[in-house]
Amino acid sequence: MSTDRIDIAASGQPLTPVQRVNLDIVLDMIVPPSADGRMPGAAEVGVPAYLLAEAPDALPPLCRELEELERRSHERFARGFAELPQRERKSLIEAMRAQEPSFMSRLAMETLACYYQHDRVLGGLGLEARPPYPKGYQVLPGDLSLLEPVRARGKIYRDAP
Amino acid sequence: MTTDVDVLIIGAGASGAAFAWSLAETRMRILCLEQGDWVNPADYPSTRRDWEVRMEREFSPNPNVRRRPEDYPINDADSPISVVNFNGVGGSTILYAAHFPRPHPSDFRVRSLDGVAEDWPIDYAGLEPYYALNDRMMGVAGLAGDPAYPPHEPPLPPVPIGLAGETMARGFNALGWHWWPSDIAIATRDYEGRAACVNLGPCKSGCAQGAKSSTDITYWPLARRAGVQLRTRCRVREILADDKDMATGVVYYDERGVEQVQRAEVVVLACNGVGTPRLLLNSRSARFPDGLANRSGLVGRNLMIHPWGVVRGAFDAPLDSQLGPMSCCILSQQFYETDRSRGFVRGYNMQVIRGFGPVATARMGAARGDIPWGEGHHEAFARRYGRSINVGICCEDLPEESNTVTLDPALTDSNGIPAPKITYRLSENSERMLRHGLARGTEVMKAAGAWDVYSEGPVRQTGWHLLGTARMGEDPERSVVNAWGRSHDVKNLFIIDGSVFVTSAGVNPTPTIQAVALYVADAMKQRLANLFD
Repeated sequence: MSTDRIDIAASGQPLTPVQRVNLDIVLDMIVPPSADGRMPGAAEVGVPAYLLAEAPDALPPLCRELEELERRSHERFARGFAELPQRERKSLIEAMRAQEPSFMSRLAMETLACYYQHDRVLGGLGLEARPPYPKGYQVLPGDLSLLEPVRARGKIYRDAP
Repeated sequence: MTTDVDVLIIGAGASGAAFAWSLAETRMRILCLEQGDWVNPADYPSTRRDWEVRMEREFSPNPNVRRRPEDYPINDADSPISVVNFNGVGGSTILYAAHFPRPHPSDFRVRSLDGVAEDWPIDYAGLEPYYALNDRMMGVAGLAGDPAYPPHEPPLPPVPIGLAGETMARGFNALGWHWWPSDIAIATRDYEGRAACVNLGPCKSGCAQGAKSSTDITYWPLARRAGVQLRTRCRVREILADDKDMATGVVYYDERGVEQVQRAEVVVLACNGVGTPRLLLNSRSARFPDGLANRSGLVGRNLMIHPWGVVRGAFDAPLDSQLGPMSCCILSQQFYETDRSRGFVRGYNMQVIRGFGPVATARMGAARGDIPWGEGHHEAFARRYGRSINVGICCEDLPEESNTVTLDPALTDSNGIPAPKITYRLSENSERMLRHGLARGTEVMKAAGAWDVYSEGPVRQTGWHLLGTARMGEDPERSVVNAWGRSHDVKNLFIIDGSVFVTSAGVNPTPTIQAVALYVADAMKQRLANLFD
């Protein structure tokens, strides 16, 4: 699925400029680009537009989580989340998820749904970006000669009176 | 008031469709009321890029998630297993996996053979002609010669088992255990005007190809051509009865939500093991204060639902395991028949299920922590996608009166009809059986070469098999309907769905549900002159 990036602020679920930057950082922390460049990072596949279209109820809690993330960053490191080195970003999010396992988990699940439907991702996996119907897929028949020992052992059901 | 009919069928699913087709030859005026609508195959998720997401939403098997206007809510808070279904022409065959194993002859004689529960008043041999007829009508694929069964010959060749099935087959062989290509209600070649399966994959969200045998495309076109009337978006509220204990018709809400009365000479319930007791319990009157046809007190009791476990294995080699009919591959009945040395009676079916699409693979991996955030994500995904296989453990649960369908005191559907409430616990026997199955599933995964094995059970979203809540028997005090589906209390009321199961066997019940429906239809045809005597 190709989804253009749109401004999530237009949705009535405004993210501050800081939150929008932080969201992209978090998205790439969930699924980073692959080192070989074959797979994009999650910040590149239009997650905000996907959330607007497919999971609008996820936006209000996401706003609160991003707000809390920034607040905790200042509290612990005296800097905004975007200004932290990657190691400290990871440490902060891990600490927040350890404290509250549901923190950012909805975002992660929706991100994975968006990511693994995206043309670039499917292409990177070597898959055709198409619905299953009408073309379908080829499946090998499998080796049914493997049934010989099953046949040789004979009947295994009980007769009934 | 609508025109009277001879036979009124409630529900257009697996049993209602088969029954309607069979009874059509009598040329009686037959009407089926279905609360759902026809489903357009072009709407099935597999026609769209976002198929994996859509099958979790508007095509979710859970009506509490799906929440279509035609769905009724189900209170499943007091059960570890949620009820799943589909409301529409075809019923749950729209979303079922089409795994189509028959039970064993011993499944009908559990009291005689194993000293538990009760024997059915009918047996495998008596139903066999109806299984065979149903296989032909539905279009069932499989391989003859399975030593776990009396001889039978599926009319279509088996689905491809693929590298995944072959891998598991080698595991079963290494342990000396039974396995066989599953009987599957899928047209593996062009069949009766239906196109052959092209391995779309997500059978459990409807088959856009029309290869999966749902009754909207098998029985219903023939039944309607033979004169059966099918009225959709009509939700029955209650069955009416007179002071002679005869059903006179039903009250229902039509597609505009307007209350209607439909008179009928015979009323046939085909609403599944939850919908049928719900409707009977909601049909109270002075003569039936506890619900229609419920003088035994057994309507809604003895709910059986098949506790389900899953064992998931990841393999090193690429298996293309995400391809092929999702839930149908091979089965093992090594642990199906009773062996008391295992610590439980009765047994279970092992159903090899293929891997999942990329979204489900990623999400399940993330939920378990197998596929991490950040570094290592891509490598972990690649080690599982197309390389994972599942084994389902379908346990026979025995009838227990404490497992029930009742009417919820507060929850209602959009017409104000009380919703069903499920109360269900796994028995000690079921718990032991499930643990045994998960352990054996783990064993075969390792024998097949899996580098990582995970198991869980009971799995919550697996309550497809809704059985036993209006069971058949000869004794009116111990059963709701007789040996040919007629209510003991209301002699022109018949039940033909999974409610009538005396025990659940350990396999997917649709072939048996439909065989029983065809058998009841034949029993009625043979007794038309004295049907109510």
